[in-house]
Amino acid sequence: MASETPEIVIRIGSHAEKEYILKLAPFVDGVIVGANLFEAAPGATASLLLTIGGKSTNVYIDPMTYAFGQYTDPDTGKLRADLDWIKSEQIRKDEKGRKKTIRDFKRSYRTLAESLGNPVSEALRSGRAVSPNDLSEREVQRRFCQTVVEYQQGRIAREFENDEELSHFVENMPRPAAVFAPYFYIEPHNTQDWLSVNLSLMSEAAKLETSAPVHGVLCADSTHLDESELRKYLSEAIPTTGVAGVWLWFSGFYEELASLQSLEGYAELVHALSKNIEVHAMHGGFLSLALSKFGVRGVSHGVGYGEQKDVVPVIGQSTPTVRYYLPALARRLGVPEIERAFDALGIRTAQDFHNRVCDCAVCKGVVVDSLDEFAAFGDMHYSRPEAKRKGQTPAAAKRCRFHFLLSRLIERDWLRRSSIGEIIKRLEEASDIWGGQPSLSSRSGHVHRWAKVLSANPR
Amino acid sequence: MKRKIDITRFKLEKDLSIPVERFFRDRAFGFQKNEVAFYEHRMDLYGYSQDHDLTFAVELKLRNWSRAIKQALLYQLCSDLTYVAVPLSTIKLVDLNLFQSYGLGLIAVESTGCNEVIPAVRSEVMRRHYREVYVSILLEENGNGF
Repeated sequence: MASETPEIVIRIGSHAEKEYILKLAPFVDGVIVGANLFEAAPGATASLLLTIGGKSTNVYIDPMTYAFGQYTDPDTGKLRADLDWIKSEQIRKDEKGRKKTIRDFKRSYRTLAESLGNPVSEALRSGRAVSPNDLSEREVQRRFCQTVVEYQQGRIAREFENDEELSHFVENMPRPAAVFAPYFYIEPHNTQDWLSVNLSLMSEAAKLETSAPVHGVLCADSTHLDESELRKYLSEAIPTTGVAGVWLWFSGFYEELASLQSLEGYAELVHALSKNIEVHAMHGGFLSLALSKFGVRGVSHGVGYGEQKDVVPVIGQSTPTVRYYLPALARRLGVPEIERAFDALGIRTAQDFHNRVCDCAVCKGVVVDSLDEFAAFGDMHYSRPEAKRKGQTPAAAKRCRFHFLLSRLIERDWLRRSSIGEIIKRLEEASDIWGGQPSLSSRSGHVHRWAKVLSANPR
Repeated sequence: MKRKIDITRFKLEKDLSIPVERFFRDRAFGFQKNEVAFYEHRMDLYGYSQDHDLTFAVELKLRNWSRAIKQALLYQLCSDLTYVAVPLSTIKLVDLNLFQSYGLGLIAVESTGCNEVIPAVRSEVMRRHYREVYVSILLEENGNGF
């Protein structure tokens, strides 16, 4: 297990990301997979984890219990308890064999609910989200914690035990480096009740005999970061539950867009919690990594996205472009926005690019003879003959993803050997140099805010 | 009174397009195309003059001229001359110094025609590989030999 901080844990978002995961796994500190993804393709997921897990790469399974709780509709802002966001349109046959489309729970979540038992299995049966009342009794909490923890400890191995030919691999199965207590989104309409339930679940899980440390997940809303009393309470209450670590996830918290007040609240919470327990960022970016100087142990994020994540995703958006991650500003930006700044910054050759922008293996392979080759990160095409608008080519998206992942590893290694003063200096220089460019000025204010947050230097 | 008429006439950005197209045609920019994609952006009008061997790009905006500047700055990568075109009534709101400092042109649009308030300066950041693609598309679509 890696001992240096920060650690990087890559979240597997889909099996289409297998190529990235397999190539990068030896260099990252861990991988985390959502239990719903596991249940969508159990054999493939178990095989992937068998390939990459163990040795120096930790494995985690996110039990995804929050998916069965109440949530705030991102479109209307209203509280919903119908679990609709884990449903999909499905084609079924009626008694007469005629096909019809119905809206029902996704198979992966249905299977997961059955595995995790009450109250989530009952929630699916009744079509009503788990509420704090469903978890008011200690015995219900204890049994739920037991099932959720056992699921994480045994799910990978179980997939192989059931297969005669593969059962001899069971001994070599990677075991989770930590197991998560069940958790639910502390939605702002009902902060107190959900907070109480989540703390109780952490306490009950921490009492269990487990093969790995028990961690909690604080899944709250970004507005909670602005509440100093709540932060103080959390920093005191979470360690007393007995969990060895906590993964912070604030829905709607975007490191690049957050106000200075929210960022300071986040840093303060990290610092206070880390005095007693391990602190991880469940969906974090560069700032979370830099907050390793304040006590963050590890940061988890996706292959192409996922440095921030809302509890309920907005449905129906078109496939977003995978933009180029500009290391200096630690942000994904469009190719022309970046390219527009080159001349003014004296970046005129491929060598200048490698010296001033990025010298990762991907960038060295793409920008070889001329700066014009940078355009390959934004290549567009008509994905279908009838398409009205061009979209990014799969090859360009792949370049951007690999470049991002390599950049992230470079950042991690740099942060490990840098002082907080050096990090602040880097951010302030980036703010002056890149932020001074007209095509980037409106997208660079975050680095100055980050520098300010880190300047508080609590250690 | 004239300004009021302009506001009602130009309800949509695309309403600005016809006078601007005519303005550039009169200056020998015979090859033109609307809604030309540049990465995730769309240039409202892109054109080419074989006589001058120059390309132009135009961002049309009814009011938000500062946003237009941000977009136009990017179009300088693929066009020799880049303009922002706004209704005459919007001109008084515009910071002319910004346009001059970035070498962007500014066009005031009226129902009767256009007025070049600030001429565009030839872009120093233009990339030939972008420009060549657009020129060849324009020539191909309009029939080479215009």
